[in-house]
Amino acid sequence: MIDNRRTYRSWGAALLAGALAVGLAACGSGESGTNAGASATTIPLKAGESPVGQHLYGKKRGGVLTVYDHEDFEHFDPGEVYFAEDYTITSATQRSLYSYLPSNASKLEPDVAEGQPVIGDNGMTVTVHIKSHIFFSPPVNREVNSGDVAYAIDRGANPNVPNPYFHIYFNDVVGAEKATGGPISGIETPNARTLVFHLTKPTASLLVGALSLPLSAPVPPEFAKPLDAHSPTKYGAEYLVATGPYMVKSNGEGKFLGIGYQPGKAATLVRNPNWNPHTDFRPAYLNEIRINIGGEPPVIGRQVLEGEDVVQNDEPAQSIVKEAYEHHPQQITFTEGSGDYYASLNTASGPFKSLDLRKAVWAALDRDAIVKARGGPLVAAAMTHFIYPTVAGYEQAGGAVGPKLDYNEHPEGDMGVAEKYMKLAGYSTGKYTGTETLQMVGATGPPEAEVAQIVQQTLQSLGFKTHLALVDKSVMYGKYCTVPAQKIDVCPNVGWVRDFADPQTVLDLAFNGKAIIPEGNSNWSQLDDSKIDTAMEKAELVVGEPARAQAWAKVDEELVAQAAAAPEVFASAPNIEGKNVDGVNQLWNTGSWDYDFTSLK
Amino acid sequence: MTTGAADILVEPVPLLAARSPGRLFWRRLRGDRVALASLGFVVLVALVALAAPLVVGIAGVPGPNVQNPNALDVFGSPTGPSLAHPFGVDQLGRDVLARVVYGARTSLEVGVIGTAIATLLGTAIGLLAGFYRGLTDTLLSRFTDVVLCFPVLLVGVGLGAACSVHGCVKGAIEPGTATVVAIVALFNWTYIARIVRGQVLSLREREFVQAARALGASDARIVFREILPNLTAPLIVYASLLIPANILLEAGLSFLGVGVRAPAASWGQMLADATPIFNTAWWYMLFPGLALLLTVLAFNLLGDGLQDALNPRAGRAVK
Amino acid sequence: MTNYIIRRLAWGAALLLIVAALTFLFFYLFPSGNPAQLRAGHSANPKVIAEITRDLGLNRPLPTQFYDYMKGVLLHFDLGYSYYSSASVGGLIAERLPATISLAGGAVVIWLVSGLAVGIVSAVRRRTWLDRAAMSGALVLISAPEYWLGLIALFLFAADIGKVKVFPGAGSYVGITSDPAKWFTSLILPWLVLAATFAAVYARLLRANLLEVMDQDYIRTARAKGLSERRVIMRHGVRAAITPIVTVLGLDLGALLGGALLVEVVFDIPGVGRLNWDAIAHSDFPIVQGTVLLAALFIVVANILVDISYAYLDPRVRYT
Repeated sequence: MIDNRRTYRSWGAALLAGALAVGLAACGSGESGTNAGASATTIPLKAGESPVGQHLYGKKRGGVLTVYDHEDFEHFDPGEVYFAEDYTITSATQRSLYSYLPSNASKLEPDVAEGQPVIGDNGMTVTVHIKSHIFFSPPVNREVNSGDVAYAIDRGANPNVPNPYFHIYFNDVVGAEKATGGPISGIETPNARTLVFHLTKPTASLLVGALSLPLSAPVPPEFAKPLDAHSPTKYGAEYLVATGPYMVKSNGEGKFLGIGYQPGKAATLVRNPNWNPHTDFRPAYLNEIRINIGGEPPVIGRQVLEGEDVVQNDEPAQSIVKEAYEHHPQQITFTEGSGDYYASLNTASGPFKSLDLRKAVWAALDRDAIVKARGGPLVAAAMTHFIYPTVAGYEQAGGAVGPKLDYNEHPEGDMGVAEKYMKLAGYSTGKYTGTETLQMVGATGPPEAEVAQIVQQTLQSLGFKTHLALVDKSVMYGKYCTVPAQKIDVCPNVGWVRDFADPQTVLDLAFNGKAIIPEGNSNWSQLDDSKIDTAMEKAELVVGEPARAQAWAKVDEELVAQAAAAPEVFASAPNIEGKNVDGVNQLWNTGSWDYDFTSLK
Repeated sequence: MTTGAADILVEPVPLLAARSPGRLFWRRLRGDRVALASLGFVVLVALVALAAPLVVGIAGVPGPNVQNPNALDVFGSPTGPSLAHPFGVDQLGRDVLARVVYGARTSLEVGVIGTAIATLLGTAIGLLAGFYRGLTDTLLSRFTDVVLCFPVLLVGVGLGAACSVHGCVKGAIEPGTATVVAIVALFNWTYIARIVRGQVLSLREREFVQAARALGASDARIVFREILPNLTAPLIVYASLLIPANILLEAGLSFLGVGVRAPAASWGQMLADATPIFNTAWWYMLFPGLALLLTVLAFNLLGDGLQDALNPRAGRAVK
Repeated sequence: MTNYIIRRLAWGAALLLIVAALTFLFFYLFPSGNPAQLRAGHSANPKVIAEITRDLGLNRPLPTQFYDYMKGVLLHFDLGYSYYSSASVGGLIAERLPATISLAGGAVVIWLVSGLAVGIVSAVRRRTWLDRAAMSGALVLISAPEYWLGLIALFLFAADIGKVKVFPGAGSYVGITSDPAKWFTSLILPWLVLAATFAAVYARLLRANLLEVMDQDYIRTARAKGLSERRVIMRHGVRAAITPIVTVLGLDLGALLGGALLVEVVFDIPGVGRLNWDAIAHSDFPIVQGTVLLAALFIVVANILVDISYAYLDPRVRYT
């Protein structure tokens, strides 16, 4: 899914995290750590905390945590949730079939499920058993059964909901493609404790990963169906029921709007009285979580760094990161594998139909300058291919350095190589001489506006005439970059984060020709290469993590060979906490604070 | 003093010659040193704006759009004033001195031209409405009301979102200086119109206007000779307050994506960019801010001076 | 007088209708996004988008949509439903209004008192150092962007992050009914910041007008009659000089009640201005339409009051 609002889990964190820890320690001696050939000096991480190797249990109980959040929440409904900031709420209030421990983003922990899923029939069925003694919060109060999970997934197809992942990851379930909210025939509930998914294609591995999405969190049909009949649904907008250790504060009828949530103002999480700790790996130390929405990032950043019992829910401003690192190193964490950023190049129309021109841009772009514009090596590293760190397939696709191609080798930008490709494209002077003006649409605000201007300057130095428009990010996505008909040549501020720990979720939607749709399109480059599409189709069917990693790494290589976009950075998300907060980061969700595991000292 | 026989027959020239209001105005203005200094400053700023490339060349700094990541520290934070960059650099490593110089162009264009158009429009409409009253007034006032109530920010953002890429109305509306000037003018003329109308309504009942009418003066004469001069003083004050306010408005519009197009420099945009990091990059806030402040001050002091010089009955100190 | 008032009220109502229609039209002509697609979410199925378009009634002709909307507003006070927050627009606005009123109201009092006082003193002691200092100070305040002033104020005086910990920090606003003391202290800095620019403007304006007036012949007559200087200034001078101020005050207050955007943003005050701002950013048209109507309502009311007070101050105006 798209960019800086993310929800993702890191993969192989155990392996790479270990490597990271060693790398960071080595940083102190001036080695360049994870930066491939970076000319920027590395900052030795002082005694700051690394979220890797964080302790989860045995902490102090009690207390009220105040949370500052510049961005408002979009959804509380597990059936609709999409952004990383929203995931911090659903991970505290909703339990999906499978989840991730904050410290291990690769291993699926059974949450509502009992034990690991069983893949049968050569990848055509998935069987899951449900734990007993898990109860809904008031006013539903009863025990969770398989029908609740089935309904939760069924409603993802309801246009009153609707779930952004449903047709992507659940389409292969029998009956899902035509579903509109009614019971899906391919989801069988032989008894109250069992679910069986029947698939039309052997893509069970993908489905298993998708079962870690909040979509699989149980929803009581008798409570939610009447609400789901409204357009848009009132479940998650006015009413909500919880299965997690916390719930959004509500009244006796389950209504939270105006009580536990004032849009744009505040939200409150209180303990779920029906939560059964014996069925859950979460300790839930805090008594209450009070969220303050709004405020300007430089101000709330300061409030968090100098305060007690506070954290910031979303990412702090760049200047705050610097201040925190220099003066409050114990209060800031950096989580690798928080996604990537790149500039899409329109391969369907305009000059970038030419592969050589795309390679020229790739070569010329100064990725180190973009690293700096985003805040330096602590939060960004030059991007060299499309699967980013901590996602399976990253190492196989080339790791930090990436494929050794001449246009990829110099993250500081190499005009010589760029000129070579310009000439290959037919421009003998090494500069573009065509008449077209490139349409660029970027986002306002730091650091996006700066990155857009860096990209613009690169294009201008190659001889292109550019027309850069900076608009609000939601408009950039909603109106321009996701609408092919607008014919935008370059979108310099797009980015990607995984949907869950499978490499397909990084590459498929972003570069599959079949995924191009007229509105809300995520294949911003509109790449439509039949060879790559076929490779993706094959890789989708591969079973087992190591094999999938290998298969998708191959796809990544192809994407680099086709210069599908101009890469910018791999991102590491910073997160800040107050002086006395023992925060735990969700490695699977860009290092956001996990309210189920955070405590006060 | 003349010599010669013919002069003996001419009446002696009185020592207190009746001078025309115009000459009196200049005389008073020339005597007001503060006003002259302000005028000089304004002219200086205008010259710097016009000759920006020359100024930057003389100062020996890189151009305003030259990005330089090496001037940033390892966190990507800008470095402060140094020999190479007397005013420091911004977040892209661009020289702040150069951008302040080029920014003068944008700010002056928007501030002065926008205000001028707004004042002209507003005065015209307010005059017509207040003087003719009746149906004219009704229609014009209603029109003013509608524009007043219409949210300009919304217009700005809406236009920004809809028109920034392909332009609207066949490319006529597009973010850039012209559009900002238009929005600024549209935003401001209503205030002037209302004030002018109110003043004209009062003025038109005053004795000297009644007298002129009794003497058979035409409408045009009354408007231009009697009413307009009495409006100039408050108009000047308000206009001189509007210019800097419009410079700041332009900053707000730039922030919304409807101002001058990046990477063009404008003081307002620089202030907006500098505000979140001002505690770590004080120079980025200080120098454009100073430029803005001094220019604003100059315009205001000039306005004061003009007002004093224009007002024929402005006595010396009241006390 | 009554006739005058009735006419103004009638026009006020018509004005609101016109503004509502224009806003509707504007968003239709210059959309910043497709609401159905926004509601459908990311990577949405085109089928789903079509469904939602139908549900939201977005494919009906524009006049029909507008008619339904106005019907809802006038008959049921139903301002529609937010695309983004899935909450009723009227409810959201009603919730935010007290904060904006608190902010604007307090600031008005401060800037009127200080601005007028400074303006009068400056005019009376014209060209003395007091006058110069006051007007220069005013100029500085006018030149400083509100946003910047607010940040400086916080970094200097806020209890959590400031150098001198005096006032509550950003985000500490509470409603007057829940904690009157905290309500008051949390608003002091925002009031001062918001009032600063306006006070400066009003001081200058009053000074200029007063100087004009003080040179009139009838002032000289009043003095010659033996009235005390104080009486001359306050009774005759200020009363005449104040009419343009009244005009501007009406407009400013009306506009502010629609939301003092920048101050609300910096101090994290949950007012209508911020609501509008967030809504514009999210292309949440129903909220924008609602807040625009509200702001227009305030401006209309303010203008009517201004016109009435004008008529009171200058009876000749009543016949317009």
